[in-house]
Amino acid sequence: MSSRRFWDWFIFPGGIWIALLFAVPLMLVLALSFGHVDDFGRGVYGFSLDNYRDVFDATYVPVLIRSVAYALATVILCLLIGYPVAYFIARYGGKYRYALLAALVIPFFVNYLVRTYAWVALLADQGLINNLLVDWGFTQEPIQMINTPYAVIGGLVYGYIIFMILPLYGSIERMDPSVVEAGKDLYGSPLQTFIHVTLPATQAGILAGCVLVFLPAVGDFVSAQLLGGPDTYMVGNLIQDQFFAASNWPFGSALTVVMMLFLAVWMVFYLRRASKGEAEVL
Amino acid sequence: MAEEAIRIENVTKRFGDFVAVDDVDLSIAQGEFFSLLGPSGCGKTTTLRMLAGFEVPTAGRILLEGEPVEKVPPHQRNVNMVFQSYALFEHLDVEGNVAFGLKRKKVPKDEIRTRVADALELVDLSSRSAARPNELSGGQRQRVALARALVNQPRVLLLDEPLGALDLKLRRQMQIELKAIQREVGITFVYVTHDQEEALSMSDRIAVMSDGRVAQCGPPEEVYEHPNEEFVAGFIGISNLLEGRVESGGRVRIGEDCLAVPDLGDGHPEGEMVQIAVRPEKVAVDELGGEPYRIEPDMFTVEGEIESKVYLGVGNQLTLKLGNGGRLVALEQATYRMRADEQWEIGQRVRIGWHPEHCMVLS
Ligand SMILES: Nc1ncnc2c1ncn2[C@@H]1O[C@H](COP(=O)(O)OP(=O)(O)O)[C@@H](O)[C@H]1O
Ligand SMILES: [Mg+2]
Repeated sequence: MSSRRFWDWFIFPGGIWIALLFAVPLMLVLALSFGHVDDFGRGVYGFSLDNYRDVFDATYVPVLIRSVAYALATVILCLLIGYPVAYFIARYGGKYRYALLAALVIPFFVNYLVRTYAWVALLADQGLINNLLVDWGFTQEPIQMINTPYAVIGGLVYGYIIFMILPLYGSIERMDPSVVEAGKDLYGSPLQTFIHVTLPATQAGILAGCVLVFLPAVGDFVSAQLLGGPDTYMVGNLIQDQFFAASNWPFGSALTVVMMLFLAVWMVFYLRRASKGEAEVL
Repeated sequence: MAEEAIRIENVTKRFGDFVAVDDVDLSIAQGEFFSLLGPSGCGKTTTLRMLAGFEVPTAGRILLEGEPVEKVPPHQRNVNMVFQSYALFEHLDVEGNVAFGLKRKKVPKDEIRTRVADALELVDLSSRSAARPNELSGGQRQRVALARALVNQPRVLLLDEPLGALDLKLRRQMQIELKAIQREVGITFVYVTHDQEEALSMSDRIAVMSDGRVAQCGPPEEVYEHPNEEFVAGFIGISNLLEGRVESGGRVRIGEDCLAVPDLGDGHPEGEMVQIAVRPEKVAVDELGGEPYRIEPDMFTVEGEIESKVYLGVGNQLTLKLGNGGRLVALEQATYRMRADEQWEIGQRVRIGWHPEHCMVLS
């Protein structure tokens, strides 16, 4: 047995691990999505497309659309906020670059749920911000901030912005600064140079950041659950309800499968760009 | 001198406490090929970047065709730069790169097309106009950078070690091409390099820089033949430096021997210690005691011995030990006059000579 063949055997422990703990549950979800619920609320395997019909039922389609809309808004806000931050750190951070990056990353060690609760404390009708506004006499009544789409999107932005900033930072830092100077040297005003040189030169980071924020944001349920209300229900909440509250596992599975297919389309799009060298895979 | 393209007036640039450019005063003529030559870190790039507008002088003025420009931002200056790293736009093809400046200047589309085509023709890249920069070789990328700058017909083209990344053979070829292009377009070139040979072969004039200041500025022959200080003599070519003492009548004593120096001038009082510099190729070596073969009658001569010999193909580089302990390098060109049976032995006693007018006095 050549040593090459010997080392090939080492694929098995990891391979089996992935097969058992990743592929098998996925297959179970897929199988269950074609099933139905018995009289006791338990999922039963079967061969029906009813669950998939229900996913695209008029009741749920707005939830799907809302989820995508919120995720897109999140991506755009993350990009608008994250780009200047990443640019500043990469180009002007100097020796403090890594300290600044660490300062951004460290809050993300705190559990996402806990961080979102902190937002509740800030935004609630009797929360910190409203109390201050009332105390300082800016308003008589507290302003409705929680249970709004803004709060949910704000929570998502806060939750996932680091996934935008890190790839952006990477691509901006790797960019040759003289390329930007070349843009100015060739009569580009600062704005023109940014649009025609800096943005294209960092498009790999932009694309990576957008995908990395969009994927978790579209399936998120924590932000909508804590910061939103019935009007801000997202597909993540819907799925969670099927598994925990409504106890309709087959329908929850069908929702999950549809979501995964939708995200897979995005991933394929991204990976194809990445393989052409236009995007970076982290 | 022809009309002035650039005037750099007492320009100083400090980064914090560090003086990168120290009171530089230069005038560059229209159409001139002007080189800034010096070792790494001497302030060449900083000087060039002030001309381009990327750095603002701490003190002094920069005039472009008579207009003070030191506060004008780069995109409003009619100069263009070829960057050391080329700084090509990787997301644009060759044509897009070259058209970039014209588009920003809102030149009509038809004109852009013809001018880009002309520029690519000039640098011999017409066939690669649709290629992306990452598909090009180093030499081709260099040409794109050149075309991208030249297409704008700037008043002045700034080049920061443009050939530094190329291998020797390609560099030689590009030196000739660059010079030809400069003659053809007639644009003033300010060329930064640390390669003395490159500066000597291409430039109309050279400013030799050291520690932020201009040590000497003049035509290549002048800075080579008459360096005004030890730094210049040492940086451009090899120089032999010998310690000497000024004696009466414009003579300099080196050890036991005395040497008449033609243009010692009045600046050197009797008794002053000076450095005498002589180029290796100006040093003649003959066997001691034999018929004078290379040494000519009016040469200043000293005795010495061969310490080492390096065969160079086109000749020999000899290191000679003088009677007083000094050392001298001589470059002996292989010529038709060289005898086939001639062989220098290590330790051989020789007579060494040079014409007094070939030695330079440095204080
Ligand atoms: N932005 C800057 N900040 C601080 N020091 C600088 C800066 N730019 C250049 N320098 C310093 O100025 C000196 C001259 O640099 P430079 O002009 O690039 O030299 P050269 O091009 O001759 O190699 C160097 O010692 C360099 O470290
Ligand atoms: Mg430099």
